[in-house]
Amino acid sequence: MTAGEPLIRWDWLASHAGEIGQRVGQHLELTVIAVAVGLIISFGLSLLALRIPRLYGPITWTTGILYTIPSLALFALLVPYTGLSLLTAEIGLVSYTLLILIRNIVAGVRGVPEEVREAARGMGYTDRQILWRVELPLALAVIFAGIRVATITTIGLVTVTALIGEGGMGYFITLGIQLFFSTALIVGALGSVLLAMLADASLVLVQRALTPWTHAR
Amino acid sequence: MAARRGATVELREVTKRYGETVAVDRLSFTAPAGRICVLIGPSGCGKTTSLRMVNRLIEPTSGEILIDGHNVLQEDPTELRRRIGYAIQQVGLFPHRTIGQNVATVPELLGWPAARIRARVDELLSLIGFEPARMRDRYPAQLSGGERQRVGVARAMAAEPPVMLMDEPFAAVDPIVRERLQNEFLQLQRAQGITVIFVTHDIDEAIKLGDRIAIMRAGRLVQYAPPAELLAHPADDFVARFVGSDRGLKRLALLTVGGAELDPPVDPSRLGGAPVLSPAMTLRDALSQMLASEAQVGMVRDGDNYLGVLTLSHIGRLLRSEQPT
Ligand SMILES: Nc1ncnc2c1ncn2[C@@H]1O[C@H](COP(=O)(O)OP(=O)(O)O)[C@@H](O)[C@H]1O
Ligand SMILES: [Mg+2]
Repeated sequence: MTAGEPLIRWDWLASHAGEIGQRVGQHLELTVIAVAVGLIISFGLSLLALRIPRLYGPITWTTGILYTIPSLALFALLVPYTGLSLLTAEIGLVSYTLLILIRNIVAGVRGVPEEVREAARGMGYTDRQILWRVELPLALAVIFAGIRVATITTIGLVTVTALIGEGGMGYFITLGIQLFFSTALIVGALGSVLLAMLADASLVLVQRALTPWTHAR
Repeated sequence: MAARRGATVELREVTKRYGETVAVDRLSFTAPAGRICVLIGPSGCGKTTSLRMVNRLIEPTSGEILIDGHNVLQEDPTELRRRIGYAIQQVGLFPHRTIGQNVATVPELLGWPAARIRARVDELLSLIGFEPARMRDRYPAQLSGGERQRVGVARAMAAEPPVMLMDEPFAAVDPIVRERLQNEFLQLQRAQGITVIFVTHDIDEAIKLGDRIAIMRAGRLVQYAPPAELLAHPADDFVARFVGSDRGLKRLALLTVGGAELDPPVDPSRLGGAPVLSPAMTLRDALSQMLASEAQVGMVRDGDNYLGVLTLSHIGRLLRSEQPT
């Protein structure tokens, strides 16, 4: 950063408003796709683990390994195969959501009180009806807790994908680092944090709307 | 609603084995239509297992279970369960469904039209002493333990099942609430004419609710009889101990003053502090009042009608005559 230059140059902000908006959009898009795809995959794997309990160990072990690979390394590993592309970014992002989501879906369903399941079966619910009408609705609160963590994590990780040409707000962070330009750096970092907070707050609202029984008094 | 006839439930030589353990051992009894049949016995004697075989939550190892002559083992288990009411101690209300939706569970599964479901839900909520408009849209977490038990029973009865299975449904509430729930349940059961198989480990509850009582021990049926007979003639020492050394008093609770032999009326002035008894009163309550007034006798009156005099020796004779030791 050049001496004498202010921490934030408001004129730069004003002249780049369009680009900032565009990057916010990209950031959200990368996040939504990652969490949605992660949720679909996790849901399938969770159902499998719930039906065949001895698969739960291997599934969490594998997704746990994925979770521990440093994100930079993962993207670098993928580039030779899938190039500098959205696909590369999403493969990485999705793989980080799996462990959290699967753990929460499985824990949520297993946490349904046994007597509720027993009553449902005793009244003539089929196994499928028990899953869809009893277990999953009751697991929603725990599943949402997982979605919130996955979303916040993903929003943070999206910034790293700037290194493979995507990045959302991460674009401004790399720009700021390359040019020693604090305004871009702050826009990128603060923008990402604000996005995470907003996304989390919206998810809380959605969850409250979907689980009225948890806050009836 | 008109009283409907429940179904007859018959168990024939029903056995359930878990490896070496025999949970239920050649159990046979018939629960007559529209009656309450209580299964009782020490913990682990096979009550729950027996009950759960009737709606096939557990499959018998051998034997037959017939409902109105149809073998339940030849029916689709899910369809069967929708026709049999089921209520358990932990209730198991659906926390995410309102009280109204909980009660509507089986009618919904059976595809009743919405208007009929709604009418039935409101009817049942009223029957269990709830104001439908006030309670219908609450969630189970907003109810007290006793209220939840009531909803559990209403839910089990919702689709007008000919048979209901109940596993210690009132065991988790305090004695005062339990007594009220028992009374309400008896009224409901009589009004709807449902056949009930009712598991308990509480002999007083069994005597109060049961038309028949099946005493079990280690998976076997030891005695199957109406409560009065069980108290008067316990089949063996085990049953005698199980019903309690106060079984005489318990029997008195089943008999009324009106049914006892009386001495002809005597001038009240000669009876001193004798209590006034009504014919509907149980002999147990009559005895208690006589003892409390330090009187040997009680004056039996039906309103203004002076029927006669009940004496301690009448009560003693009743106990002795039907209780050979
Ligand atoms: N799933 C099971 N596996 C092995 N043994 C069982 C199982 N369920 C019940 N039992 C045994 O069967 C017996 C009867 O159990 P249960 O019907 O629950 O008794 P109760 O309801 O009278 O207390 C007990 O000895 C119990 O340990
Ligand atoms: Mg039991």
